[in-house]
Amino acid sequence: MTGDDKVSHTSSVSHTGSVFDPQLLSRCISCGFCLPACPTYALTGDETSSPRGRITLMRALASGTLPPDDPTLAEQASFCLGCRACEPVCPAGVQYGELLEQWRGFQWTGRRRPLAVRFLVFAAERAWAHRIAGRLRGAARTPVAASQRSLMLGCFERSLFPEVSRSALALAPELAVPVRQGCCGALHAHNGEPERGGKLARQLGAQLPGQIVTTAGGCAAYLSTVIGRERVVELSEYLQNRVTGQVRIGGRLARVALQDSCHLRNGLGVWREPRALLRSVAEYVELPGAARCCGAAGTYALVRPRDSRRVLDPKIDEIEAAGIDYVVAVNPGCLRQLRQGLRRRKSSVRALHIADLLRLAAD
Amino acid sequence: MLAELRAIAGSENLRLADGQLAVYARDATPLFRGMPDAVIAPADTEQVARILRLATDYGIPVVPRGAGSNLCAGTVPLTGGIVMSTVRMNRILEVAPEEMLARAETGVSTMALGDAAAAHGLFYPPDPGSRTVSTIGGNVATCAGGLRGLKYGVTRNYVLGLTVVLPTGEIVRTGGRLWKDVAGYDLTRLITGSEGTLGVITEVTVALLPDPSASRTGVAYFDSLTQAGRAVSGILTAGVIPSTLEFLDRSCMDAVEQYAHLGLHPDAGALLLFGDDGDEAVVARSFERITAACEDSGAIGVQTAGDVTESEALLTARRCTLPALSRLGSLTILEDASVPRPRLAEMVARIDAIAARHRVTMATFGHAGDGNLHPTCVLESAEDTEGIARAERAFAEVFRTAIELGGTITGEHGVGAAKLPYLEERLGSAQMDLIRRIKTAFDPAGILNPGKLGS
Repeated sequence: MTGDDKVSHTSSVSHTGSVFDPQLLSRCISCGFCLPACPTYALTGDETSSPRGRITLMRALASGTLPPDDPTLAEQASFCLGCRACEPVCPAGVQYGELLEQWRGFQWTGRRRPLAVRFLVFAAERAWAHRIAGRLRGAARTPVAASQRSLMLGCFERSLFPEVSRSALALAPELAVPVRQGCCGALHAHNGEPERGGKLARQLGAQLPGQIVTTAGGCAAYLSTVIGRERVVELSEYLQNRVTGQVRIGGRLARVALQDSCHLRNGLGVWREPRALLRSVAEYVELPGAARCCGAAGTYALVRPRDSRRVLDPKIDEIEAAGIDYVVAVNPGCLRQLRQGLRRRKSSVRALHIADLLRLAAD
Repeated sequence: MLAELRAIAGSENLRLADGQLAVYARDATPLFRGMPDAVIAPADTEQVARILRLATDYGIPVVPRGAGSNLCAGTVPLTGGIVMSTVRMNRILEVAPEEMLARAETGVSTMALGDAAAAHGLFYPPDPGSRTVSTIGGNVATCAGGLRGLKYGVTRNYVLGLTVVLPTGEIVRTGGRLWKDVAGYDLTRLITGSEGTLGVITEVTVALLPDPSASRTGVAYFDSLTQAGRAVSGILTAGVIPSTLEFLDRSCMDAVEQYAHLGLHPDAGALLLFGDDGDEAVVARSFERITAACEDSGAIGVQTAGDVTESEALLTARRCTLPALSRLGSLTILEDASVPRPRLAEMVARIDAIAARHRVTMATFGHAGDGNLHPTCVLESAEDTEGIARAERAFAEVFRTAIELGGTITGEHGVGAAKLPYLEERLGSAQMDLIRRIKTAFDPAGILNPGKLGS
């Protein structure tokens, strides 16, 4: 097969049996242990919007019991946050995230693809063209040797939060910042273009030949699945035991909480590392729902803004109740989501990326 | 009728789309399916009563469903009709420390109820493997057991009172808040374990105990499950009733290890998980006795968990054994035979022989202290009809053996649709007739969970 772009479209013919890897799909035994972990099940109490229910739907699609244009299939493929909170609690080891990618790869082809998704993927492709600004431009150098570690500049981060990469570089000035670097493909893979996502990830892997340090939990998780875990280091992993200083506010240690990045936690099992860093520079407060999705979920906040806010609201309540100065994110999507939620609430709590908070400590 | 259902529960709580119905066609039991015609999620007892009255008038089956985590196909709508989901009725109504009881709506999760009790220094002992997801109403309906059965008993030992809606729409309140109350037949006990065939439970009052001040967990390893079974007898005759006494064979250990990474013994043939709770000194003494009994029975190693986290990890791993087993194959069929404790080792040996004779892979784990075994057949593929047939023949023999040894076909999972064909062998025809007459008295139109108990 040539031309990766075509693959997802040609698969939309009626062979629904080949949508899913049957090995992955058969793993689920419907025990229901995933129900309490699922944010959308918590919203509805309806099996249809639970991981177990969605796997039943995938099976119905694969077996032809439900037609590809069934409205419940379309609704659930999009209602799922894709946070993968169901994976660590699954004793059977169902790879739900992988199945969701395969599902959307089929469900979101051609005209079935939500309009907002089409727009966002287009926008992300354009975002690579953004020039590297300020301090980064000075640090940028090509080519990179395979022995070197490079800082990856996320597509959205580059345009929305350029200061995050600057902070990361201030904390780890030895990192190379190649000018030419594309997108990691997570956005594509999670939004119905698994083949294109994989291709982009491999391209990025070739552009940054050594270890890749990333400030985005979501990118780290996806990139690892394609180019290998050993080549990907999330920033808080990279900075373990290397950060000094304290974050103080008005003569006392700042109180900070962490919002986990879903894919970093559920996909890569990285959650102790950012907590350890925060504990080393500030007074750390664990939010009761720190591990639960904030509702940003990649494109979700834009594709399903109402549901995204329903997921976010209880989290903002928790943040407000925790008596903290900062809530810290390890993924730019979460950062954007938290900032918007806090602004709407006119909260005095500030949301920061972990790189920015650690830089405050070092300064 | 749909318009009336909509008027009762609201259109957002009535689900009719094909995809929405498909996910309610099964529960946690493999191989059983039945497509419902509607799914409804009522908000309170009153709505449940109106729906049931309507269903009786129209002669439409109603299948009550909590979390759908049961393992006997108890919530599969075999003949279609309405699946009634109880998940919206999920409030804890009260915890009364001076009466040592809690009152909750039917859809509250077992874990949430336990946490609410713990917040008052109290303890709800029954802990079925699915406690994080299962509902208290579902636990009562199936008389759920769990890991603490040996010392603390099962769900029925804690149910003080129930609010139940009869299929004809009457609301009855059985029992209440009293430990002593013999006014009338014990309908509370009759409905506990009735598997949604006599009425829909909407509210539950449970008795609580003081939270034990200390608890510990340990593991003993043996060469074989039979040997672990013998150690169980040794422990129970040493004057100890551990709160937990569970065993796992090698296949189960492998599956659990893959999920939980606990560092279990790499070559032992079986594991015995034991635990006790209560006063520090009492727990320490029972651990001495258990350890000695295990060593006398030829344990190749005994370890006790260092702290609460470690203990909890061991217990969690045990609760996850069944789903973890599905790592070994695509289809896992699990059984629930129970035998008198002194026959445990014999039963284990007989299960091995049966599995070999029928050429099936059988992994066995269970509540050793209760004589309750979960032999589980692991098959490569859900499409392997020949393999499934062999597994079913093997299980029929397992049941017969359990009965022959003075045991039963289901210790705690329930009858549902899965065990109904074997029930008469266990109960005899006179009892089966009586059960059917009781069912008719409660449900003259036969609308409630048809094809299960009483059918």
